[in-house]
Amino acid sequence: MGQLKLENLKKSFGTVEVIKGVSLDVKHGEFIVFVGPSGCGKSTLLRMIAGLEDITEGDVIIDDVRVNALPPVKRGIAMVFQSYALYPHMSVYENIAFPLRVEKLPQAEVDEKVHKAADILKLNERLQYRPGELSGGQRQRVAIGRAIVREPSIFLFDEPLSNLDAALRASMRIELSKLHHDLDATMIYVTHDQIEAMTMADRIVVLDGGVISQVGSPLELYHSPDNLFVAGFIGNPKMNFMDVTCTGVGKNSIDVELVTGEKLTIPVTARAGIEGQKLTLGIRPEHTTTDGCDITISLNANVVERLGAHTVVYADAPGVELGDDPEAANRFSSIQGGMANIRANQRFDIGIKASDCHLFDEQGAAFKRNIDLSSLDLPEMQASA
Amino acid sequence: MINKYKWYEYILIYAGIALFVAFMLAPFLEAFLVSMRPLSEIFTIPYAFLTDNMSFDAYFDMWRNVPRLHIYIMNSFFIATAVTIIALICVIPAAWGFARFEFKGRDAILGAFLAINMVGGTVLIITLYKLMQKLGFLNTYWAMIIPGAAFSIPTGIWLMRSYLMKIPKSLEEAAWVDGASRLYILRRIILPIAMPGIIVVAIATFIGAYAQQFLFALTFNSQDSLNPLPVGIYQFFGRQEIIWNELMAASLVGILPVLIIYIFLQRYIVAGLTAGAVKE
Ligand SMILES: Nc1ncnc2c1ncn2[C@@H]1O[C@H](COP(=O)(O)OP(=O)(O)OP(=O)(O)O)[C@@H](O)[C@H]1O
Ligand SMILES: [Mg+2]
Repeated sequence: MGQLKLENLKKSFGTVEVIKGVSLDVKHGEFIVFVGPSGCGKSTLLRMIAGLEDITEGDVIIDDVRVNALPPVKRGIAMVFQSYALYPHMSVYENIAFPLRVEKLPQAEVDEKVHKAADILKLNERLQYRPGELSGGQRQRVAIGRAIVREPSIFLFDEPLSNLDAALRASMRIELSKLHHDLDATMIYVTHDQIEAMTMADRIVVLDGGVISQVGSPLELYHSPDNLFVAGFIGNPKMNFMDVTCTGVGKNSIDVELVTGEKLTIPVTARAGIEGQKLTLGIRPEHTTTDGCDITISLNANVVERLGAHTVVYADAPGVELGDDPEAANRFSSIQGGMANIRANQRFDIGIKASDCHLFDEQGAAFKRNIDLSSLDLPEMQASA
Repeated sequence: MINKYKWYEYILIYAGIALFVAFMLAPFLEAFLVSMRPLSEIFTIPYAFLTDNMSFDAYFDMWRNVPRLHIYIMNSFFIATAVTIIALICVIPAAWGFARFEFKGRDAILGAFLAINMVGGTVLIITLYKLMQKLGFLNTYWAMIIPGAAFSIPTGIWLMRSYLMKIPKSLEEAAWVDGASRLYILRRIILPIAMPGIIVVAIATFIGAYAQQFLFALTFNSQDSLNPLPVGIYQFFGRQEIIWNELMAASLVGILPVLIIYIFLQRYIVAGLTAGAVKE
């Protein structure tokens, strides 16, 4: 079994608190992805689960056993490192066999397990090679092979694909998902890459500065982010944020007025006493075409990127939040059709539909959108069955 | 390949190298020439590069003149080997500890090692004599081996540590996660990967021990059969004259073991000093 429970986990390096109280429940067989900006503590959290980093406070519980003080090997976990961490002086065979050699298994058993792993990972032809003679993707597979021979109940991956090129990443992604399905094991996966997170995860854990910002299925995070941070973090290009003023509160909606004077009625769960406050409206670039929109705004296109399937347009827009990235100052991004007739330095229209909008209060917390998430095809727990 | 230098730059570079090599090798050449000359021709004025009656006679006569010569050579070899082995046994785990583990006073201890190195054996020789006397090591091999090892360990640790620090930490972490003990990691992961570095340290220690033993042997040992070559060679200093040609012949034969080891392990030294970057 591969249940994992984190209870108010904290970690300090010296006086700096890096993990500030993380609680999480992971069921057997789940594929959990940790995402977050660089330095938010993803690797540290993973290493605490692995037993490579001491726990300052809180508990790590695996299969109902508190493992804080147990060495990694007693926790039933295996870890795959970003740098592969292959032993350069050993053959692929010996690399994969290493954990079994440590356990002092008889040669026949070692042989059987290594070949089984090599079969799964298509490394049969390469068993006698040294890691230095392999390609990046093959090295990564050897590292995974070393993890699977131990048949752990929980796999830990720290950005395992980040050293590979885009094409190889795409195929390894599929292989990993397949592996997850075949092995029936819990996987905890750290990545920078949104596509990896969205495509592989049962649930995504968004970390921000050592705390969990939100946990949810990929589509839940996409459609119903809890706060500005998650809204801005999930999705590419980023969600656009505009300053708006609340002009009224309906039964199941909030009326807002844009800087330009347009008015919208956003279908979200409202609360009283916010009239007159400054709110933040969020609209994803892919929801800015003029088809069936409630309001249109005319913008000046600064940069037009034609990607074939669609066109990404960056523009100045009134009331668009500057964010902390000066490069993106006053950039409103919009995804238009691939053949859209838009040129740089010309005006073009974007459309906004109220039901596509997200609304955040002054503290950055989202008002709950009136959408039915269950109608979305949420794979949440099915994969583990 | 891009030709970075102009032809005259090449000439300058090679001239520089030639000058340097000549400087280094001249003593050896002269020692060899002296060993070939009869005694009467050694102090000819003006200096002659080639003199009459050159022969290899000294290489045969020396064994008769100093009957224990082969024992001295063996002693030298034995002492240097023992020093190297003891030093390595101490250096490798210590360097690993210094390279990998955080503990209070680590940098202070490393600094102290460096300081001891600067002081060296000569300054401490009287205290060491007392120590050897108390331990009953005077006139035994131990008196030459133990101080020799002790004074090579600090340099060894510094050399080894910088080499070990280049081995990615994740290799050890991966092995640790897979259940390997510290000693298992040291034996199966660190030692093989660090082998070029270990060989560099071993050779440096061996050569150092070879050169160093004169001082310790002269002070701590008066038993002739235990003497290493540098002390034994004194017997070529006769009452009236010094038998220079045989002395030089014996010296050259004495450095032969070091030379042979060096030639065999040279490829590791070059690899160890330059590469060292262990990737993945
Ligand atoms: N051994 C350490 N000593 C001191 N501080 C550390 C140590 N390891 C990590 N940190 C700090 O902890 C914070 C989180 O580091 P961590 O490696 O977990 O980030 P991350 O989310 O994995 O980032 P990245 O995406 O860049 O890998 C960083 O600010 C880092 O400086
Ligand atoms: Mg990291």
